[in-house]
Amino acid sequence: MGIGDAVLPDPVKFVLNWGRRYSLWVFNFGLACCAIEFIATSMGRHDFIRLGVIPFAHGPRQADLMVVSGTVTDKMAPAVKRLYEQMPEPKYVISFGACSNCGGPYWDSYSVTKGVDQIIPVDVYVPGCPPRPEALLQGILRLQDKIAGEQVSLNGGARGARAARSPERSTARVLTAPLVRPDSSP
Amino acid sequence: MSNLAAESPTLADFGTDVWWIIVIKVVGIFALLVALTLFAILFERKVVGRMQQRIGPNRVGPRGGLQSLADGLKLAFKEDIMPALADKPIYFLAPVIAAVPAFLAFSVIPIGPIVSIFGERTPLQLTDLPVGVLIVLACSAMGVYGIVLAGWASGSTYPLLGSLRSAAQMISYEIAMGLSIVAVFLYAGTMSTSGIVEAQESGSEVSAFGLNFDGPGWYAVVLPVSFIIYCIAVVGETNRAPFDLPEAESELVGGFHTEYSSLKFALFYLAEYINMVTVSALAATLFLGGWRAPWPISIWDGANSGWWPVLWFIGKVILGLFVFTWLRATLPRMRYDQFMRFGWKVLVPVALLWILVVATMRVLSREYDFNAGDIALYVGIPVLVLVMAVVWLWPDKAPDPTVKEGVPPTTRGAFPTPPLDLVVPPSPPLIKRDAVAAGKRGGGKRA
Amino acid sequence: MVREEVTVGVGDAAAGLHEFPTTDMTLNIGPQHPSTHGVLRLRIVLDGERVVSAEPIVGYMHRGAEKLFEVRDYRQIIVLANRHDWLSAFSNELGVALAVERMLGMEVPERATWLRTLLAELNRILNHLMFLGSYPLEIGAITPVFYAFRERETIQAVMEEAAGGRMHFMFNRVGGIKEEVPAGWTGRVRQAVADVRSRMPDLDGLIRDNEIFLARTRGIGVLTPEQVDAFGISGPVARASGVDFDLRRDEPYLAYGELQESLRVVTRTVGDCHSRFECLLDQVYASLDLADACLDRLASVTGPVNVRLPKTLKAPEGHTYAWTENPLGLNGYFIVSRGEKTPWRCKLRSASFNNIQVLTELLPGTLLPDLVAILGSMFFVVGDIDK
Repeated sequence: MGIGDAVLPDPVKFVLNWGRRYSLWVFNFGLACCAIEFIATSMGRHDFIRLGVIPFAHGPRQADLMVVSGTVTDKMAPAVKRLYEQMPEPKYVISFGACSNCGGPYWDSYSVTKGVDQIIPVDVYVPGCPPRPEALLQGILRLQDKIAGEQVSLNGGARGARAARSPERSTARVLTAPLVRPDSSP
Repeated sequence: MSNLAAESPTLADFGTDVWWIIVIKVVGIFALLVALTLFAILFERKVVGRMQQRIGPNRVGPRGGLQSLADGLKLAFKEDIMPALADKPIYFLAPVIAAVPAFLAFSVIPIGPIVSIFGERTPLQLTDLPVGVLIVLACSAMGVYGIVLAGWASGSTYPLLGSLRSAAQMISYEIAMGLSIVAVFLYAGTMSTSGIVEAQESGSEVSAFGLNFDGPGWYAVVLPVSFIIYCIAVVGETNRAPFDLPEAESELVGGFHTEYSSLKFALFYLAEYINMVTVSALAATLFLGGWRAPWPISIWDGANSGWWPVLWFIGKVILGLFVFTWLRATLPRMRYDQFMRFGWKVLVPVALLWILVVATMRVLSREYDFNAGDIALYVGIPVLVLVMAVVWLWPDKAPDPTVKEGVPPTTRGAFPTPPLDLVVPPSPPLIKRDAVAAGKRGGGKRA
Repeated sequence: MVREEVTVGVGDAAAGLHEFPTTDMTLNIGPQHPSTHGVLRLRIVLDGERVVSAEPIVGYMHRGAEKLFEVRDYRQIIVLANRHDWLSAFSNELGVALAVERMLGMEVPERATWLRTLLAELNRILNHLMFLGSYPLEIGAITPVFYAFRERETIQAVMEEAAGGRMHFMFNRVGGIKEEVPAGWTGRVRQAVADVRSRMPDLDGLIRDNEIFLARTRGIGVLTPEQVDAFGISGPVARASGVDFDLRRDEPYLAYGELQESLRVVTRTVGDCHSRFECLLDQVYASLDLADACLDRLASVTGPVNVRLPKTLKAPEGHTYAWTENPLGLNGYFIVSRGEKTPWRCKLRSASFNNIQVLTELLPGTLLPDLVAILGSMFFVVGDIDK
């Protein structure tokens, strides 16, 4: 347990969390219909940039928040997982819309992952199909409240330290199932 | 007037400071740059927001004023990721190489006249050299090494493409930028930044149509072509829209800094904005009269003495930042080859031609005692009209279609026609139904 | 020799394939990339910045809609049908409703037909505005998308008032539409249409004739009419190449037959990115005019807006194909019924799937920035490709 892992005193926690909470550079994992509502939220009428959510993160490396908006398919799941892992700690995930919450209207589809929380941890779920932009704003506010109360350590959040220590840190490769060979024996 | 002249620093005023004055200046410039960067990021978000029918950040601190501070705080304490394929020492050094020259370049920018700090009279400028402007050019060239190395060391494709673009861009636009400044040197007769500011104090007297008046001293007015070329070239030099090719988001994701996170990314971010501030400051110094007050204010005698000039100087820098933001909000990105063509085929030749014209005018006015204003009036305007006529009347060439060299043409017929002998297998339900029907028939026979 | 098959994401794409010892570089664009607006993946081989070959790899968004159609009854299909092309939800559900009505031999009330026509045109405007915003964004102009969304919000407000949804309207029913529109709604639609028309010049003037935009899009990605025919390309992309085909005029459905004098089919002949963009832009004006014409007629058409359906809705045995001119092109549903509550098979012909297939021919030889410009100008929705 290094210095970075130590739990920090409250004033430091407040300052660090204040920075993290109001500077959420968001990486939009726009998959389907919900992505359009995500874009609508960043536009003039709703404008979540007001809240310090900056949608100009170029890639996962600079992002703090990933918004999974849309249907996650089994083919896409490794990519979601991999991009999540490319993000630096502390990182947060908002699951936006019914599809990424639980499969939504594709609950009985053979190719749809029934909820993105099966592959990555989700902080806030926003329900709806697609949710209204106001719902995303509410989700972001809830996330900010959550961040404000978090324990912090200097290198990443509490979760980061735990994830780094856990021996079976799963990778995207785990999700890639090998090809099923047809049974050659008669 | 003599009082004012005494406040303008000359080269002799530098290098005589006490050590603690130097420390104060260094820390002051560092603080000023960081503060200006924080301000520039927020300013850009706010201004772009207004241009896009939005409000921009308004929840963090008063009217969103602490947004960039929150960004900085967060970036500093994020997890630092080292990509597996990265060349580690260079990957680590690159952001430093990008950021340090950005700070360094500001050391020769004159921020104000001679003021008194705790009783010591000293110019508001860290240092100056007989070749001051060249320091800025050298620093901006050095900074690009950081970008190139960052892309190379990341060990990933998008950053590599970004850094390759950046290398070519640096070479091309550095030349145009350097050439645009030559005319200023010719006019000012010096390369020291404080000397150039002083040279812009008042313009030569112009007599036109029987009227005598003081011409403008700003080189932006005296040397408009230089100013325009400088403005275009520095946008390319700082990798800003519409020339933000090394980090073109829709093409290269994040460009050279795609793989950078945390504090290293923050350094690149810082370097980009400091470079913007520096080139704006250099534009103010070279073309907009430096720290001297602009015309309506300059009527007031005290405008150019004491600490007031710092205000005018920062005002001019913010004007530069506004132009950067304005460009970003308005223009699409140019294509790489168009951008190169523009640099080499338009900016560089025009700059060379302009230097020729300026040099000729300088020689003529010195040898034959012509008034520069007269020449500008009787030669410059007809030439300008001629050039404009040529530009406008030049036949509009249709843009070249995309070059398809080196790629074998797709053979017609082979594609896209799908194979036409496709036999559709009978669908499983049909087989089942037929089997059932056959079974029924068979059963019927048996019965 | 593909060493790394799952090379996904932005970053980490260094592991590539080296078939020959040359300097070619394999770049995976997507499945998540800022310019694919969705999860299309392109595997391209680059020589410097020039694309040597490009292969669209589809299927990252495949949600099995066609299979799901087989286990939903005819009323439930509409829910899934409007989600494959999420930008033209109304037109999608319309196609299903038309197909089922045709199989049932059902007569749709006149007012429902006119309302459907009006809403389909409003939906077309919504769809086009999205692309009018996102395309400049891909070229690097960040502001037009904000203007486009301002107009979108205006139209979405009236659509939402009638249907209750901002994107997935679920307003079509077999035999008409869900319910009568609210009182005074047509007046507000008229106002919204007038507002959008008066503010369109903002967007138009900002981007259409911008010098850099012209340089980036003119003469880039020229699509010939032969290619259009060969690949089955339709919609604005085809019309920009001079293929003058529009179902609303050539095989009128809904009330388009009576709107022929106000229906303007926008075409261009060049077939490059800019003409595709212009087609979309001018189509917005044309659709605004059509919406006004519909509103004029709606004022005098009264009556019911739907028909009473039996408790279990079973289409008679047989099959039918209903196609509509969706905002992005031809959208067709081939429905086979065995007389059950659910279709036995429902084949979906979506516009984007055909439209992007031509990328393999268009992209080789272009520069990387052109690739982005061409990709954006094909106006596709990933769900419409992968279904």
